Amino acid sequence: MNKNKIAIAISGIGIVAPCGLDKKVFWANIKAGRSAIKNIDRYDSSLYPSHIGGQVHELDAFSHVSSRLLQKIDPFSHMALIASEMALKDASIDLTQENLNRIGIFMGNALGGWLYGETELRDLYMEGREGVSPYMASAWFPAAPQGQVSIYYGIKGYSKTIVSDRASSLMAIGHAIRVLAKGKLDFVLAGGMEAPMSPYGLLCCNTSGQISKANVPSEEAYKPFDKKRDGFVVGEGAAIMILESPERAKKRNKEILGFITGYGTTCDGVDRIKANPDGHELARAIRMALEDAGLTYKDIDYISLDGAATLEGDVSEVRAIREVFKERATVIPASAPKTIFGNLLGASGAVDMVVALLVMQHSLVPPTLNLKDLDPECAGLNIVRDKAKEYEVKRSLVISRGRGGINAVLVMEKV
Amino acid sequence: MDTKTQVKDVIIKLLKVKPEELKEDMTLEQSLGVDSTEMVEICIALQKEFGVKIQEKEVAKTHTLVEIANVIDRKR
Repeated sequence: MNKNKIAIAISGIGIVAPCGLDKKVFWANIKAGRSAIKNIDRYDSSLYPSHIGGQVHELDAFSHVSSRLLQKIDPFSHMALIASEMALKDASIDLTQENLNRIGIFMGNALGGWLYGETELRDLYMEGREGVSPYMASAWFPAAPQGQVSIYYGIKGYSKTIVSDRASSLMAIGHAIRVLAKGKLDFVLAGGMEAPMSPYGLLCCNTSGQISKANVPSEEAYKPFDKKRDGFVVGEGAAIMILESPERAKKRNKEILGFITGYGTTCDGVDRIKANPDGHELARAIRMALEDAGLTYKDIDYISLDGAATLEGDVSEVRAIREVFKERATVIPASAPKTIFGNLLGASGAVDMVVALLVMQHSLVPPTLNLKDLDPECAGLNIVRDKAKEYEVKRSLVISRGRGGINAVLVMEKV
Repeated sequence: MDTKTQVKDVIIKLLKVKPEELKEDMTLEQSLGVDSTEMVEICIALQKEFGVKIQEKEVAKTHTLVEIANVIDRKR
């Protein structure tokens, strides 16, 4: 057992996702397995090999951001601002009563804000230097949302944005719990945001060679661990959580939603895109997270899968789980809820954590959609398919991975 | 339309603020909290609107509407 085990409390959630901008709606759609993957309809995306995704349509209806600010920021910052506001409210935090120097912001993002970027680059070539908004410089880069949240609330504590492809937000949260554990911050806003649906953003996703070209029917395209898988489907959105010490949450009489108790991360170090099919490095990250949490493979009741839906991604993930969980791999319920709303890339890990919290709260594991014909190489797990299934879940393991063999794993526990 | 009203129109449209928020007896910084990046945008928008060349130092967030209108009138 790890004598230095540290539990960090999650006391608020803000979610902006293709299947809901409110935790109740979000969960209702997830437990029903209602797919939010549709044709991308904001522009003519039909010429893209993959032109489907999980889009957020109701952003303006939930926005508290002024038109004046909106024209200076990319949608990924807008999503982060909305999710942050939701999380602060959910955690019952009144910032006028807080020491702003002791609040941190830890965000994850993979692509940056391309809608703003590509629009201004077009203006540069069409109109010349003076056609470009002076806000271009501060709108597009991956740490822009961290900056905007900081400016909006006047937050001035130690903050950081992690860019590690799809593992970005889980790594940001892993980093946040380390900093919190040192007692240098009172609380943290942690999570991620991604807006990959712009014409250039979607093109980048397409050229990565990792997304599904099975556009019709859109709801059935994302099928990890299936023989017919051909990649994941992108989604947009943000998930932000309020993290603080359990003592602090209790002191202010705030109900704790769950705990983060362990974190592990490794790199495969073999290919610039693909995971190492042997899964050994992911297995090492899982063991690292379990050890950090003072747990063994026997203590986990739910595994939130990365579910990349690529050959190497799926096979290595299953092998890693079988390596660590041995005979229990066939028993522990596992799921890739991303199949319902899309892979939110840099924000995907944070969204999976929100789902895992709700899984523990409701004792219900959401389905992995579209898994009809299991790849024999991916056999040996208890993947919940088609419909949500009841399970008593006290401890969850969340896996998030990025291109080039980045592995991040977090352990979460029920209150 | 006089220059001052035209300048006001450009600024409120650009910043997406209500006309009553832009107080004529105050500087742009005092009434709207205009920052230096917004001032660059305002400068570019005024050049387009009036067809005159304006140096960055000539219009500033510490100016009032009348002061900015005077700069433009001198150039027209």
